Amino acid sequence: MPKIELDEKRVEELKQKIEKSKEIFKMAYDRFDPEEMRLIWSGGKDSTLTLWICRQFCQENDLPLPKAFTIDEGDAFEEIEEFLETYSNEWGVELDWGRNEDVLKAAGYELGADVVVADLNERNQAEIERIGFDLERFPFEAESYVGNHLMKTVVFNTYLEDSNVKVVFQGIRWDEQEARAEDEYCEEVEAEEFVPAHTRYRPILHFTERDIWDTTLYFDIPYCPLYEEGYRSLGAKSTSRKLTDIPAWEQDLENTVERAGRRQDKEKTMARLRMLGYM
Amino acid sequence: MKNVVLLTIDCLRKDVLGCYGSREGVAPFIDSIAERSVKFTKAQTVAPYTQASFPGILTSSYYFDHAKEEKRTESLSLKRTLISEVLKRAGIVTAAFHSNPYLGEYFGWSRGWNKFYDSMEEEVSPISPFIKGDAINKMVDRWLSSHVSSNDYRPFFLWTHYMDVHEPYIPEKEHLDVVDPSIGLGKDEMLALFEEVVLKRDVSNAETVNLLRKLYLACVREVDDHTRMFFDILKKHTVLDESVVMITSDHGDEFGEHGGLSHNGKMYAELIDSPLLIYNYSSGESQVCDTLVSGLDISPTIVHLFGLDPVENFQGQSLLPLEDYPQKGCYGEAIGKLGHRVKDTDRPVYFYRENDLKIIYRVEDDSWEMYDLQSDPKEQNNLFDTSPMAEEMKSKLRPRINREQK
Repeated sequence: MPKIELDEKRVEELKQKIEKSKEIFKMAYDRFDPEEMRLIWSGGKDSTLTLWICRQFCQENDLPLPKAFTIDEGDAFEEIEEFLETYSNEWGVELDWGRNEDVLKAAGYELGADVVVADLNERNQAEIERIGFDLERFPFEAESYVGNHLMKTVVFNTYLEDSNVKVVFQGIRWDEQEARAEDEYCEEVEAEEFVPAHTRYRPILHFTERDIWDTTLYFDIPYCPLYEEGYRSLGAKSTSRKLTDIPAWEQDLENTVERAGRRQDKEKTMARLRMLGYM
Repeated sequence: MKNVVLLTIDCLRKDVLGCYGSREGVAPFIDSIAERSVKFTKAQTVAPYTQASFPGILTSSYYFDHAKEEKRTESLSLKRTLISEVLKRAGIVTAAFHSNPYLGEYFGWSRGWNKFYDSMEEEVSPISPFIKGDAINKMVDRWLSSHVSSNDYRPFFLWTHYMDVHEPYIPEKEHLDVVDPSIGLGKDEMLALFEEVVLKRDVSNAETVNLLRKLYLACVREVDDHTRMFFDILKKHTVLDESVVMITSDHGDEFGEHGGLSHNGKMYAELIDSPLLIYNYSSGESQVCDTLVSGLDISPTIVHLFGLDPVENFQGQSLLPLEDYPQKGCYGEAIGKLGHRVKDTDRPVYFYRENDLKIIYRVEDDSWEMYDLQSDPKEQNNLFDTSPMAEEMKSKLRPRINREQK
């Protein structure tokens, strides 16, 4: 029994969206060796659906599953870690964990602790310089300006390089935020210093947040229990907030902002400033 | 040890308050507070708009100390020390409640607060593009309820900032009626005035400018009510008697005094002169302090009130005890943008004031102005070319202009 009731037309619509996603996977598999592919799996609803569709596509075409990759920023929900472990086992997905061990160590594995730049390895120091940060120390926070770069971007780029990855699958969507509206299903990223060349495929770009939940619930796809508690968008533990206790899919998805529970993002701040007459 | 409460009011001009000589009577409550406060008659904010002036108030540093880095990172420099960071480290509970996006978490102002509310989760509209003071007060009320009854009760530093005086100048009717009941404008019409006149800095019609000024005064009236409610909340939680309350503004607002509207890169009195009251200090009796003081002095004063050692990174001096405060000149600096948009071509503007003399230098057109505020408080008569003091004042401002910006 599906967890929600949907009419036939809606189910058909969702199935078509899933088929569209499989076409994107096919584009990638036609060009690349599965060994060179990684699916970015944060444990959130979007990347989990991406993986679910990918598995189906691989089973239907008798192709090997790509490895999955997840980034541990040192500030993760236990529920997400548990979810990732459970379903990587259950689904037979090989999951690589990426961490910036060097920064974590320098921070004594403690959020908010001061990291002394000179204590970091050469690569991290060079990265700090690259983003124009010229301080001797910074507080360890996954979603701060420096933290986000070192704990996510650097980890991602280093992993691509070390594991010789040529293709990544990302579970991002057009309706997530304004900035995503121009994204394409396939993007070639050119090599530059610290960034290896790779191709990004985004199989679920056309899914809306509502589509994600309808699909997830109707096809009984697993999701992290935090969504049931009211979280609508999951990021670092210390900066994710839930605004209500009702399950994500029962919230007013169409009229409120998905990322409202996340760290204040730029768009919101800028919109306020414009209303006040600035910018 | 007393708590310290800092109440800042965005865009509040000093000269609209009765305690500073206004006869308009739009802020009876703040005036009544002034009667039981140390009142500073010559307080200068360090800049004429929020991004440049608040580093002065909460980090006791000048805007150009780190403005270049901050423009790049869009985040308050870690080289600045926030008063909240100092106090939290010392075991004082810190709480902030405001609705100014420039002071939000996104721009890095949430450091050091046990509780930080910047309202960014709320929905706002063009008619009311910020959370109003009464709603801010409710947050304060709720926070005090839990903090005061907590087992871990410790002295606190509470910072509350009201946006209600800030444009678009759309006051509630009851407050507008106090100022001028004959103004029959609807909120949409007021919003149109903001968009068509204020944003365009159009001062061509004196009547319209005067109308805007009345809307502004009605907003001051509104903020006066919020302030009264704020004090009632402190009283209700029995912390008012145990708290020193400082009231000030980050800058003023212009209504045509120097050819413009609102606030941007100008250094004249209507933007730079700020009200500054310290309520409930020592005996709680009223005192008037005519010494020239700066927004930079606020954080050092808070540090002093908590009995902590002076903070090396702070460039101001504690205002208290009054007798120890040194006589000094005051500097200010900002980008000399005209209009709300900063362009890459905009250059800095600086001022220096000493006693009643004030000199202003605008880099863009290499122009100097000097005013004698004793005889010309509205700064209409530029004495730079005629005053024998001009060279000396210029030489005092010069080092700031020449210093390297970071």
